[in-house]
Amino acid sequence: MKDARIDRRLFLRGIGGVAAGVAAATALGACGTGTSRVSSSGGGGKTVVVRDSGGSYGAALQKAIYTPFTQETGISVKVLNLDNAPLLAQIKQGRPQCDLINDSMMSHAKYAGQDALEKLDRDRITSLKSAKIPDNQITDHAIGHSFYGQCIAYRTDAFGGRKPESWADFWDTKAFQGGRAMCSPDGDLPELEFALLADGVPMDKLYPLDVDRAFKVLTRLRSEIKKFWDSGPLPGVLLSRQEVTMSTVWDGRIADLQKQGVPVARQLNGIRRQFSGYAIAKDAANVDAAYQLMDFSLRAEVQANLAKAFPSNPSSPVAYEKLTEDERNALAGAPQYYDKGFDTDIDWWLKNEAAVTQRWLEWARG
Amino acid sequence: MAALTAAPARPRKLLASRKTRVGILYALPVVVYLLVLFVYPIISTLFLSLKNADGSLTLHWYVDALTGVNLSVLITTLRISAETALLSLVFGFILANAISRLRPLWAGLAMLIVVVPHFISALVRTYGWIILLGDKGLVNETLAWAPGAPYHLLYNELGVVIGTTSMMLPYTVLLLYGVMRGVDRGLLAAAASMGAGRVTIFRRVYLPLVAPGLASAGLLSFILSLGYYITPALMGGPNQTMIATLINQQVTKENQWNGAAAQGVLLLLLTLAGLLLVKLISSLGASAKKRSAS
Repeated sequence: MKDARIDRRLFLRGIGGVAAGVAAATALGACGTGTSRVSSSGGGGKTVVVRDSGGSYGAALQKAIYTPFTQETGISVKVLNLDNAPLLAQIKQGRPQCDLINDSMMSHAKYAGQDALEKLDRDRITSLKSAKIPDNQITDHAIGHSFYGQCIAYRTDAFGGRKPESWADFWDTKAFQGGRAMCSPDGDLPELEFALLADGVPMDKLYPLDVDRAFKVLTRLRSEIKKFWDSGPLPGVLLSRQEVTMSTVWDGRIADLQKQGVPVARQLNGIRRQFSGYAIAKDAANVDAAYQLMDFSLRAEVQANLAKAFPSNPSSPVAYEKLTEDERNALAGAPQYYDKGFDTDIDWWLKNEAAVTQRWLEWARG
Repeated sequence: MAALTAAPARPRKLLASRKTRVGILYALPVVVYLLVLFVYPIISTLFLSLKNADGSLTLHWYVDALTGVNLSVLITTLRISAETALLSLVFGFILANAISRLRPLWAGLAMLIVVVPHFISALVRTYGWIILLGDKGLVNETLAWAPGAPYHLLYNELGVVIGTTSMMLPYTVLLLYGVMRGVDRGLLAAAASMGAGRVTIFRRVYLPLVAPGLASAGLLSFILSLGYYITPALMGGPNQTMIATLINQQVTKENQWNGAAAQGVLLLLLTLAGLLLVKLISSLGASAKKRSAS
């Protein structure tokens, strides 16, 4: 078993050609993982099944990654939109429907904790080096491919030409009047970090979060929060309907509104970054094809192509060099913005999410 | 030995009639279907809700579900469901009554208008509600002259009940419409010919005739509301969190199936309690009717 693995690696490395890679994958697929289903045994075209979250993001992935991948390798890509819980249940049964999982790094950490992911062989992912993926986005079981950010969105016509500069301004309902919207735990992690930043905690001293202090600060704003949003488009709708003057938002979700001429803007100061990544399901049927698709997706130029189709921020610094200046400026991940925000500490949240969510509900119901 | 042969004799006797055998044959697919896809999942959910992390039996998931914020969410769920059932009954009654007096063509058209919005996705419909009910929405813009405007019609209990009531309206209208079409108009005419006033006819003749429909329509919308969660999540605030939201959170976010199972079982018990209540009320009503008749 061990020998077969090394042979395969050498083989892939030595020949490298795509056609040879496919042949090798087919030939060695059978001895790769004894317990997996061998879906490629039919002899027809190889396939790989990838899990993503669908929607407009899924459409962008199809256009920027899956279709070019099939063109290059001949491996057809099937997409699966599945929630974490059923996916985990499938993996535990030993028959995952998908091979490659595109999900948040926090979900991957949960999967890994449940022993649901293959341990990754970094030598098989050559684009790690070529795309200069940062070390902190490479874990034993998952590789970060991009991040999304949560930041301030506001109506530019609401504050007499002034614009909010920080989370303290978000909390300052005297200077910046009008209703607020924040995220509910149905949408994303509770926004404790923003409360602490508003209260003067420096960005590099956030974690471990002072939960008591955060909720105390949140309470100051509670009566102004008109809606806790739980889906990506809602902040944009609330802002454009003038239900609120300021909201937290997933960065990129108001770009379309701006194009339509709605007077909204984003403030990237204090943006919370959360990474998404790729991992391979334990006992996946098409491990080799999954590695190939992962490797393809992580290439700098492919990450750049995805960023053109969807406001996701590549993890590869090289990808930003492949974008035009305008495209780069639209992304929160561009080098000039990077110091404005902070990375979510997923280890802290993994330990505390359940308790904080419960407490959030108690707080919000007050 | 005698006992052994006697035991299978009974079912054989039962199976003797061809009719019974054919009946069992016909029922078998459905019975198997229900056993596999209904009874088994419910039983396993029940077990899940009683299991500790280490596999031993425990009641602490139920204690969890019935204390603190979980209990208040449960009470909220009951309250919103009851409000929804009541309002959709009232509006459903008025609407169905009006439609049942219309000519069939107009009645069909009216039913279409009631039902069609439900083919639109929940998210889009909710955005429609925001345009209609928001602080800068259509309703508040037209009522701008009124004292106390703008009215807060969204992100509170009012918003949720408006949303859920509109969701339940087709069910109550369809049910009540069927019952009302079945009412013999001759009975009302007869009552009028005996000198009964409109209120008396309504109260003593019409209402008792449509009462079974009212009971089942109210129950249906109550039960459907219990498990509802998209509309309350979109049109309400945290104070309108429904128990289905908590179940969803526990399963999808926390991978905590035991707690979710316990809350699911509680939801099921509440539904059964509702059914029992209606059965009780209708049988009480029936016995009262019998007494007054004799």
